[in-house]
Amino acid sequence: MKYKFLKIAALVALPLLLNSCQENATKEKVAEEKECCKKKDANESGKVSEESIYNVTSFWQTQNKEKIQLSHFEGKLLIAAMVFTHCEAACPRIVADIQRIEKEFTADELKQINFLLISMDPERDSSARLLAFSKEYQMNNNWTLINGTDDATMEMANILGVRVKKLSDGGFDHSNTIFLIDRGGNIVHQQNGLEQEPTDMINNTKTFLNK
Amino acid sequence: MTRLFIFIFLFNSTFSEGKGGEGMVSIKGGYYLPLYSLDSQKLLVKDFLMDVYPVTNNNYLSFLQENNEWERSKVKSIFADTNYLNQWISDSTFSPNLAKSPVVNVSWFAAKKYCECQGKRLATTAEWELAARASDTKADASKDKKFNQWVLNWVSKPNPKVLPNVGYTFRNYYGVYDLHGLVWEWTYDFNSALTTGESRGNSGLDNTLFCGGGSFASKDINNYASFMRFATRSSLKAKYCVPNVGFRCVKTQ
Repeated sequence: MKYKFLKIAALVALPLLLNSCQENATKEKVAEEKECCKKKDANESGKVSEESIYNVTSFWQTQNKEKIQLSHFEGKLLIAAMVFTHCEAACPRIVADIQRIEKEFTADELKQINFLLISMDPERDSSARLLAFSKEYQMNNNWTLINGTDDATMEMANILGVRVKKLSDGGFDHSNTIFLIDRGGNIVHQQNGLEQEPTDMINNTKTFLNK
Repeated sequence: MTRLFIFIFLFNSTFSEGKGGEGMVSIKGGYYLPLYSLDSQKLLVKDFLMDVYPVTNNNYLSFLQENNEWERSKVKSIFADTNYLNQWISDSTFSPNLAKSPVVNVSWFAAKKYCECQGKRLATTAEWELAARASDTKADASKDKKFNQWVLNWVSKPNPKVLPNVGYTFRNYYGVYDLHGLVWEWTYDFNSALTTGESRGNSGLDNTLFCGGGSFASKDINNYASFMRFATRSSLKAKYCVPNVGFRCVKTQ
């Protein structure tokens, strides 16, 4: 008797359950459709300046498959560039340029600095590929390599003012710029072009240490 | 009750989705060769839908009603410079004669957001140029001297004080208005027009700034207006708000 009751209850409950699942699914779908209009482009904390790159709210994946927003780096000095790892000429050079800057700082100073490489080629620069690239160039834990959606990547290029032209062979023409970003996400110095003397970049970075 | 609410909600959203396709026409895909590119760099553009008209001040006002963080007084300076919507009287008002004229003084970030909120996107430069080479009678009038001259005549005229309403110029082969003759338009990848590197701190062409920037040879020297568009794009930054740059949206078919 008890068993039969349960069976009936289950039969009655089942469509209800299914129904509520469907409702949830539709709710989610509606929420998703409207998400764009709800999504705030502003950093809600309100702490950063209007010019801060931490106003950008897109999500990124690191070489260790961690999901982050750029504000993850808030509080540290950031030396950043946009790259793609299949680039044969300029990109290894831009990495070498950043590593040249890195060498100028003591281990203690480096605790305050992060190095960030943003992929302009999210199609091919998977997290695994970025991890392999970081190993190939012997980057330590201070280095983060990230990839995002096409939209997030394009937005980031425009935030940084990096010009990117995708080529039909899969490569890119792009500007080579290294950015110094302060603890609040403001771009405070840029090094344009490859194999420039990094003196200005290093001196500028030093002025922001211990602050 | 909840279900009824959801039903109405769904009904509404389906309805507005239907509306999203309104005011758009289909553009036949094809090959587009960007300026300063080699033949091997021809881009294949797939069929897509394009807004018949550029986005108007009225359209933009409706967008602001749901996205007030993009109002003039609220927008963050990283996303739009101080000229943002400066033809408007306040956050939500403009002179009535601007209602149907194209919205200008909008940044790339704002234009991109607007299109996203319509379930659309900005056209790639290749898509835009493909649609814009149509005259009133031909899908590809890029070799048509009369057409090129007409476009060039507009380019060489100063902007009128008050921009005319959308639909002011000719209806092209696909049924799209105002690709030429009214305002310049943002494209999704306007920043692919490379002449210099990052332009905050330097000027002039410097080859060390680019990875492979050596393919400077144009294939389209008769179409002077296309150089003007290239130059305009390469001079823009995404947060610039310019009195003769507006936008329209497209959708993948």
